[in-house]
Amino acid sequence: MSETVISLENILLKFPKKQGLFAFIAGLVKSNKKFHTALSNISLEIHKGEIIGIIGTNGCGKSTLLRVISGIYPPDEGECRVKGNISLLAGLGTGFSSHQTGRENAILYASILGYSEDKIRDKLPEIVEFSELGEFIDEPIRTYSAGMKARLGLAVASAIQPEILLIDEVLGVGDPTFKEKSTNRIMEMVEEAGTVVIVSHSFGMLSKICDRIVLMEKGEIILLGNPDEAIRTYYERAKKGKLEENE
Amino acid sequence: MVNQSKKKVSTTPIDKLHLEVNYMRELASTSPLKNVGKRGVSWKAPISNLAVLVEHRFLVRNLVRREVRGKYRNALLGYGWAVIEPTLLSVVYWFLFIMLAGNPDQHYAVWVLIGVIVWGCFGKSLMSSVTSLSGNTRVIHLVYFPRIIFPSTAMLATIVTTMMSSIVVIPIIIAYGFPIGIHLILIPIGIFIAGVMGMALGLMFAPCNCIYKDIEHLFRFIVRAGFFVSPVMWTYEMAVQRGVYGEMVLWNPMVAPITIARHGLEGKWPEMPAEWLAYTVCVTILFWILGNIIFRKYEPEAVKHL
Repeated sequence: MSETVISLENILLKFPKKQGLFAFIAGLVKSNKKFHTALSNISLEIHKGEIIGIIGTNGCGKSTLLRVISGIYPPDEGECRVKGNISLLAGLGTGFSSHQTGRENAILYASILGYSEDKIRDKLPEIVEFSELGEFIDEPIRTYSAGMKARLGLAVASAIQPEILLIDEVLGVGDPTFKEKSTNRIMEMVEEAGTVVIVSHSFGMLSKICDRIVLMEKGEIILLGNPDEAIRTYYERAKKGKLEENE
Repeated sequence: MVNQSKKKVSTTPIDKLHLEVNYMRELASTSPLKNVGKRGVSWKAPISNLAVLVEHRFLVRNLVRREVRGKYRNALLGYGWAVIEPTLLSVVYWFLFIMLAGNPDQHYAVWVLIGVIVWGCFGKSLMSSVTSLSGNTRVIHLVYFPRIIFPSTAMLATIVTTMMSSIVVIPIIIAYGFPIGIHLILIPIGIFIAGVMGMALGLMFAPCNCIYKDIEHLFRFIVRAGFFVSPVMWTYEMAVQRGVYGEMVLWNPMVAPITIARHGLEGKWPEMPAEWLAYTVCVTILFWILGNIIFRKYEPEAVKHL
C-alpha cells in the first residue's frame, strides 16, 4: 500500500450561529453559544497517487472539507495531517487588482497562491502563453473581459504543480473553446499532481477519473467506495429524501 | 506510520546493509505528515509574527505594491494626490483657525499640515487593520497564509503613501528657511510610530469586526473624534500653556509622534519631557503585544463568521 498523504481523524468543525445584540449580551452572562455542525466525524485516509471525488447535495460540507484540508479552517476537534504542498483551485482570479496590468496581476495572484519568486519568474512566460492574452498582458486588468480574467486566473492557478491538488468546481468558465481547453488543462494537472481531491457535480467525469468517491450528507461521510457505488447511493438517497419530503 | 518497517532478521552483513539503506531511503522520502490548521502559541505571536513577515516577504511586497498602486491609479494627478490631499486639508483648517482664534503663529499652517499627515497615517492604518479580515474574505476563503499579513501589508502601504505625502516638506523647508539636518529623521520616525500604533490597536479588534461590523463604524468615529484631541489643530506647546487641563490631553499617545515630527521639521530634537516619549513607546509596544496575541488567538474562530 502506498503512503498516506492526507489523514483526517475524527474532524469536527462547528460554525457559530449569527446572533443578535441581545443574544450576544445574554451569551456573555451564561454560555448558551449556538453552533451548527458543519463537519462531524470525518475520518479519511488518502494515499499518494489517488484521485478522490467528493459528492453530495449543496451545503453538505464538501467545500468546507476542502478548506479544512488546505488549512483555512482549523478543526475544532480531531486532526488533519497532510504531507506535501497543497493547492486549492477555486474562485479563479481572486485578489486581482483592476488597476495593475495582467502581468503584474499574474505575479500578485501567483504570490497569493504561494509561489516563490524564482518559480514565478520561471513560469511567467508559460502563464502568458497559456492565457492567450497577447499584448493585452501589459494592459490594466480593468480593460479585460470576464473571460480574459478567467483565462489569466486559470493560467496562473494551473501553472502550479502541487503534490496535492484540491479542486472545487472550477470547470467550465468562459466560451466553449476555452471551456474545453480549461477542462483539458485541469485534467493535465490532475495527471501531473500526485494526489487529487475533487468536488464536483459532474458525475460522468468523476466516475471516469476517480479511484474512490466520498459521499457526504449533512457534514458526515456516509459512504466511501468505488465511484459507481457512491453515485448510485447518492441517487437512491436523493430519491428517498424526496419521498420523505412528499409524505 | 510508513516508517515502521518490518525488518526481518537478516543473515549476512550485506543483506543487513541493504536493508539499512532501504530503510534510510524510505525515511528520506517520507517526511512526517504535517498538522494542518494548527496555529502557533498565541503569546509568542508578537515576535513570531515578525518572522512570518520576513518569511513571506515576496508576498508582502506584492500586496503592498497592489495597495499603493491601486490607490492613485486612474487619477489624472496620480501620486500627486498624496501631497495635494493633506495640503488642501490643512489650508481649510488654517482658515478655520484664523476665523475662530485670530492671529496664529506664522508657521501654524505648516504645523497643521504635519499633524494632518501623521494623524492620517495613524487613522488609515488603524482602519485598515480593523477591517483587514472582513475586507479580504475572498482571499481568506481561497488560500491559507498567516493572516497577520493582511493588516501588516495595509500598514506598510499606508506608511509608504504617507512618506510620499511628506515630500511636501521639501518646498516648506525652502520657503520658510528651516534648517536642513539630521533632525529631519524625526519625521519618518513619527510616521512610523503612528503607523505601528494604529495597526497594533486595530489588531485587537479585527477578529471582532468579522462578527459585528459595528466595530468598524465605531472606529471610524474614533478616528474622526481623535483628530481633535490630538495635536493637529493645536500644538503640544499650546496644550502645556493651558495648565492642568492641557496636560490631561498628553495622555493621548498620539501627541508624541506628531510633536516629534513637527520638532524635526523645525530643526530641533523633541522638546518634550522624556517620560512622555517613553510613555508613547511603551504604549506602542504594549498595543503591539496585546494586538498580536489577541489577533492570533481569536482570528481562527472569527474567520468562520465571514
